[in-house]
Amino acid sequence: MTEAVRLDSITKRFPGVVANDDVTLSVERGTVHALLGENGAGKTTLMNVLYGLYEPTEGAVYVDGDGLATDADGGIAAAPRRFDSPRDAIDAGVGMIHQHFMLVDPMTVAENITLGNEPRKWGGLAVDRDAAREAVVDLSRRYGFDVDPDARIADVGVGVQQRVEILKALYRGAEVLVLDEPTAVLTPQEVEDLFEVLAELTDAGKTIVFITHKLGEALSAADEVTVLRDGRNVGTVETAGTSREELAELMVGREVVLDTETPPATPGDPALTVDGVTARDDRDVVAVDDVSFAVREGEVFGIAGVDGNGQSELVEAITGLHDPDAGRIELAGTDVTDASRRERARAGMAYVPEDRQERGLVMSFDLTENGVLGSQHDAPFSRGGRLDWDRVDEHARGVIDEYDVRPPDPGADARSLSGGNQQKFIVGREFARDPVCMVASHPTRGVDIGSTEFIHDRLVGLRDEGHAVLLVSSKLDEVRSLSDRLAVMYRGRVVAVVDPEAVTEEQLGLLMAGETPADLPRAGRVVGGDGGTPDADARRTTAVDDVDAEATDD
Amino acid sequence: MSAASRLRERVDGLGTRATVALGAAALLAVALAGAVAAGAGDVVAAVLGLLFQRSTLSAALRLSVPIAFAALGGIFAEKAGVINIGLEGLLIVSAFGGVYGTHVTGSVWLGLLGGVVAAVLLALLFAVVCIEFRADQIIAGLAIWLIALGLAPFASKVVFGSKNSATVGTVPGLRGLVANSGLPFVATVGGDALDALAGIPFFGALFDASPMVYLMFLAVGASWWTLNRTAFGRRVRASGENPRALDTAGVDVSRVRYAAVLLSGVLAGVGGAALSLSLGQFIGNGPTMVNGKGFIAIVTYLLGNYNPVGALLSTLLFAGLDALQLTLQGQDVLAVPRPLVRTIPYVSVVVVLALFGRTRLPEAAGEHYESGEE
Repeated sequence: MTEAVRLDSITKRFPGVVANDDVTLSVERGTVHALLGENGAGKTTLMNVLYGLYEPTEGAVYVDGDGLATDADGGIAAAPRRFDSPRDAIDAGVGMIHQHFMLVDPMTVAENITLGNEPRKWGGLAVDRDAAREAVVDLSRRYGFDVDPDARIADVGVGVQQRVEILKALYRGAEVLVLDEPTAVLTPQEVEDLFEVLAELTDAGKTIVFITHKLGEALSAADEVTVLRDGRNVGTVETAGTSREELAELMVGREVVLDTETPPATPGDPALTVDGVTARDDRDVVAVDDVSFAVREGEVFGIAGVDGNGQSELVEAITGLHDPDAGRIELAGTDVTDASRRERARAGMAYVPEDRQERGLVMSFDLTENGVLGSQHDAPFSRGGRLDWDRVDEHARGVIDEYDVRPPDPGADARSLSGGNQQKFIVGREFARDPVCMVASHPTRGVDIGSTEFIHDRLVGLRDEGHAVLLVSSKLDEVRSLSDRLAVMYRGRVVAVVDPEAVTEEQLGLLMAGETPADLPRAGRVVGGDGGTPDADARRTTAVDDVDAEATDD
Repeated sequence: MSAASRLRERVDGLGTRATVALGAAALLAVALAGAVAAGAGDVVAAVLGLLFQRSTLSAALRLSVPIAFAALGGIFAEKAGVINIGLEGLLIVSAFGGVYGTHVTGSVWLGLLGGVVAAVLLALLFAVVCIEFRADQIIAGLAIWLIALGLAPFASKVVFGSKNSATVGTVPGLRGLVANSGLPFVATVGGDALDALAGIPFFGALFDASPMVYLMFLAVGASWWTLNRTAFGRRVRASGENPRALDTAGVDVSRVRYAAVLLSGVLAGVGGAALSLSLGQFIGNGPTMVNGKGFIAIVTYLLGNYNPVGALLSTLLFAGLDALQLTLQGQDVLAVPRPLVRTIPYVSVVVVLALFGRTRLPEAAGEHYESGEE
């Protein structure tokens, strides 16, 4: 075996934090190596050391895309690398594809790929745009990519943008590619395409390291997996000889209960009734088309579907962010169709939004301030028009403690938290409202396995206390295991309400594609409070091993 | 896709220009309608007559020079992510620097160079404060203006004994340059040709302007090319849109930003020196002879959506209205107090901005960038 990368005893300290503690990582040439760990385990820091964005406090970095030469005792013959900047890493053949793409939106694909290394003509007076375009076309053909060099980044989808990032690295002669959470923003189909691309690249002799917190992806795409926990390397295993359970235990540091028992639901009266709601999206196209359902007290009502089939618009209509064209929305028997956000919140509607950074938090506020968002007008926080900051602070501390938000500092800016911790804080804040109805849109998106388990438990707990939960998620396993009844949306319509216990994955797949399979185990429709047949009354299990079934992420 | 996106890019660019033209037309229409409604047909005729006088175009071109150069400078700085609100200050110091340089060396051209040097030095200060010391760009820009506003008249007082400088030479006209070119053929034939062309009604003014006017047109073209066709221009744009992308591509963002801000100093310097050297004197009273042209430059490049050509067209619109306003004051056609007449260009700019100002700011404009920070 020849190593392409060896990180030798890397320690990286930040003021007050040890992000990497004596981590050694060795990656074989021409393989895919997954770096697995929960949020904040130090994966990205380690890779930033490899990419020259951080200088390690201690330790040595060895890189050679053609394989590191070893001396007689198995030590590395080459001198360690010193990367002062990404430029040095690029020169050494390391390319990094960041989680948040480093692309310039108004520029074209070819302009982005060649940025910083533009081919020139006329003695440097102009960029040779034809040469740039050709280079891009050549590269994409060689690795089986399909990108239009003249498309503007702002006009192409995330899957294409990711390819552009990969091409950018290849254009700079990268032999070792580092991908930071590459599947986070992709649809399942795009994830498959990406894995094919990775296989193509390793066949061509490239070495790939990818960072992930999803077990299934590490298992299916990588040859070897290294697990990081709290900044330490807790083990490197070959994917051929390991299991999900082993990896999960390595990641979390304790045995993870992948299956939990959920007692049957005992639904009561409808808490949230949606009747004939029709809504348009931003482009004025009908996105929600005459949707009706009711969520009863003490039940989880799930909505499944491929992203972009009207779920977002439906949730916005329900929560009052978007005026529906037609239809009626009732909360605990009161018409709230025209009620404002504040009125709905007061009436007992809690909302975990789809986009935590856009809708859930004010990124430049600290956790204390974020914790009171949505309740700032009401007792006990507001008194005579001014906020009782002691109470607000206490409230935020409570949420942080209960939901294990890290760092446990109410004074920390929301933006300084990792995505998973931001999500935990939002979920905690919304649960603390003691809602009549919880509208949870992708509540575990981008959240690690330990926190996912926790959030799922809380959702079921809320249900058992007799509250209504509307759960929208593109993770099929999540909606199936948590919901008591499951609606499938396709092109803005609810095509079926099924019993999640009895329905098969195949049938769901067909429904999500707009077809109606035979023998569908339909669940009773409850509209306008006229009652319905309760279902899902058998004891069943809730699976938490769906962390890799995410369709999209932040 | 590719053809479509390219076409749209074209149309976008055209949209900007069309917007400016449309704005001007709309204003004119409103003004005309208003005048006609007031039953003042002969006044309208008089104003139109003035608008299409050769001297109006001539004045518009002259007034455009400092604004257009400052606007080009502003485009480079802001496209790179540094909002240079200190353009006014750069114009002031270079206006003085130009006159002082000419006074010392006796050559207008060396004087022009002196103006550029003065502006570049001040721009360097601005760049260091903003890029090195992470100062707020707006505050630093205002400081640059205030420094220049105090410094230039003070220097004039030290050198010339008065806030207004002594009179020095002016930049010769194109006709003069040709006549004194020292080449007999050029002097006679070229001179005759220019005389003939200058005789054309209205557009004749294009052939009898200061060389700085032609330099302005040249600079607009060169700026467009630099921004859109050179590697430097791409880096400037990337630095203003997503500096992290540029950094991870291995380009030093600070260097790009320094270069862009210094370039804005060079361009504004040419503009300021051209302003004072067209008069042959630096006037340092009150808001100085620059009198808000740097701020108007910011408006024109915003109106032109950071496109040098768009900025030039909106500059010409503004300068044209300014020229018209000057003539109106002189001729007393409108029965309106002069201070109100003087506001015509500013009011029009506000109206045009409100009606058609759909500007897309560079994503990272005004934000400090530090490599290695998350």
